[in-house]
Amino acid sequence: MLDEVPAIQFRDVAYSVRGVPVISGLNLRVRRGETLVLLGRSGSGKTTALKLVNRLLTPSAGEVRVNGVANGQDVVRLRRGIGYVIQEVGLFPHFSVERNIGLVPRIEGWPEAKIRARVAELLRAVGLEAKITSRYPHELSGGQRQRVGVARALAADPAILLMDEPFGALDPLTRDELQREFLSLQQRLHKTVVFVTHDLREALRLGTRIALMEAGRLVSVLSPEEFLRSTEPWVLAYVRAFGEGPQSSAIRGSL
Amino acid sequence: MNFIQYILQNRGQVLELTLEHLWLVGVSTLLATVMGVPMGIAIAHRRGLDKPVLAGANIIQTIPSLALFGFLLPVPWLGARADRLAILALTLYALLPVIRNTYTGIRGVDPAVVEAGRGMGLTESQLLFQVELPLAVSVILSGVRVAIVISVGLATIAAAIGAGGLGEFIFRGLAMVNNQLILAGAIPAALLALSADVGVGWLERRLRPR
Amino acid sequence: MMNHRQRKVSVAPVRVSGKTPCGPQPNSIVPVLTIAILLLTSCSPSHSNRIVIGSKNFTESMILGEVMAQEIEARAHLKVERRFYLAGTYICHQAILAGRIDVYPEYTGTAVTAILKSKPSGDRAAVYGQVKSEYEHHLELTLGPAFGFNDTFAMEIRGEDARRLNIRTLSQAAALTPQWRAGFGYEFMERPDGYRGLATVYGLHFAGPPRIMDLGLLARALQNHQIDLAAGNATDGLIPALDLFVLEDDRHYFPPYEAVPVIRLQTLRQHPEVASALAELADKISDEEMQRLNFAVDGQRRDVQQVVREFLQKKGLIQ
Repeated sequence: MLDEVPAIQFRDVAYSVRGVPVISGLNLRVRRGETLVLLGRSGSGKTTALKLVNRLLTPSAGEVRVNGVANGQDVVRLRRGIGYVIQEVGLFPHFSVERNIGLVPRIEGWPEAKIRARVAELLRAVGLEAKITSRYPHELSGGQRQRVGVARALAADPAILLMDEPFGALDPLTRDELQREFLSLQQRLHKTVVFVTHDLREALRLGTRIALMEAGRLVSVLSPEEFLRSTEPWVLAYVRAFGEGPQSSAIRGSL
Repeated sequence: MNFIQYILQNRGQVLELTLEHLWLVGVSTLLATVMGVPMGIAIAHRRGLDKPVLAGANIIQTIPSLALFGFLLPVPWLGARADRLAILALTLYALLPVIRNTYTGIRGVDPAVVEAGRGMGLTESQLLFQVELPLAVSVILSGVRVAIVISVGLATIAAAIGAGGLGEFIFRGLAMVNNQLILAGAIPAALLALSADVGVGWLERRLRPR
Repeated sequence: MMNHRQRKVSVAPVRVSGKTPCGPQPNSIVPVLTIAILLLTSCSPSHSNRIVIGSKNFTESMILGEVMAQEIEARAHLKVERRFYLAGTYICHQAILAGRIDVYPEYTGTAVTAILKSKPSGDRAAVYGQVKSEYEHHLELTLGPAFGFNDTFAMEIRGEDARRLNIRTLSQAAALTPQWRAGFGYEFMERPDGYRGLATVYGLHFAGPPRIMDLGLLARALQNHQIDLAAGNATDGLIPALDLFVLEDDRHYFPPYEAVPVIRLQTLRQHPEVASALAELADKISDEEMQRLNFAVDGQRRDVQQVVREFLQKKGLIQ
């Protein structure tokens, strides 16, 4: 790729709450089409960094740029162009699956027929049956809900997807399924994805690059292979904590 | 004759007093809802405002109703017309349940839902009208229901200061030591309160989010 | 396989459309609720086909109310509804202002001091004119012709005391008040034209504070020597019956209390026949006749409607 504008860029970003620093000195570029995993333990600042991208949080210092433009203006338009998936999913309980997924297209004024077609298409993409459109969130399983959550995030075809531990609340089998489907989707869609997780295995499997955060600072940004071979102290500590060694294969790309 | 015969014989007057009663309750509940719901929304969204506002509404509630009617009587424009005064007092008493339930209802909306909505690019007003309010409406209605039931009771006392309504039967009956009159006022008032309770309760259940 | 390229929606020109998805599923509830609320709030009371007559919560007022009711029924052939025993001057005034009643019996002195909160301008005719003019100009009300009696406050003592002590006026009685106990009703205690002014004008000093009790109990308390002076009404039926004596108001402290009908101007516009019906009652009830009517209902416990019907028939006012 040529030297193009990064999809997301953090420039000297800091964030504090009531004087307590949560993130400091964050400089990071997210390339178009890559899956950047923000990895770290709880309190490392990874979720905070994610929320700075769609301006759910405002930096105390520095600048966050999306597609080359500082993201402080017209926050609503910014967010409509970014898909957002959270661990609790947050489907609207009083909307059917169809209305949940179609929410952003509807407020963007898409014609009804187009919306219905889009919803059908997305359900197929995330592996759900078409007849699920009239069900309500409380009638779905955890896995189904999160698939709907992903479909909802993709509805208006955003270029960027932010995912905050989206599979964390699911059982291991479902999590594995969804990870595989995510990889398959990414192969087709090539979205720019920022994916937050504390699970190294998930990071190794899904990320094109892994950005390790600790105590609000960015420690390293490495590819999965580099990550496993690195000798940096925090990286090593993380690898050891997960019982992984240089001999374990990065499952990147394997379905 | 028993009071049922009395009511039938005087149904014109019973109906008229019932309508007066409904007028007092209807206008004051409407005012309390129109003022209280936005206030409840405001304090639900802003930290720090909730305690003073809820405390204020609570203090109003602790004032004995007859005393409040009495305080307001000398006030120039208000005291000139008893029904005006009664409506103001009833509105004040209905505020607390409405504000408090709106606050609870909005605060009770799953924060993950609100965060997802905001993250998707809903404006604050879209978030309020399409997500928070629909999810809170059952709790808010419950507050309105309480307000109505309280108002029906208080409106009977308002007759003591000349605001009319079913309480007038009760006070006249007391003065004339006439039980039929008393019941002709008390029973319809109780029925009003009961039907409001049941009716709005049904609506609440229908609107409860699944 | 998803053809995402065909679906590419550019983020730049965002049009926030008005075609937003509706909120909760029961879309039909909203218009129903709106209609219900509109209905409730339009319940504002009004009645154009009946005359509603109110009265205060004592016998004489109720008798006058019944007199007017029967006369209007007979003369004007209108349906009359009775809302009697409303608890006091303020309640009646509020009710007529709000249109809940159309007519009620009032006293000119009460209207001047308690309702208009001003001072009586002179004698009976002057005060009547004063009230009528104020009512018509500011309150959308008017007065019908007076019934013919003056129910002023009567300071009553036992007949035997009056004879024994040889007193006829309040001024004479004033000197004796330190040895007496007084009993009054609450309106008399609270009204500006009541006890306070009287005590000042005549220099009354009672042994203890006056006992406050229901009007109906005052006469008996006087008879039983529980009190020595009571503020009753000049037309009280028990005055002759219990041998009570009314002290003369020689300093003319009390304003005139002519009994008059108060009528809504709007009612007269809609039903002018009400005016002619009430005009028939002008000057038809003397002080003594009112006393007898009161006694019939209070003392003899006869039915009000019966008593009034007999009286009107005897006067040739109804068949």
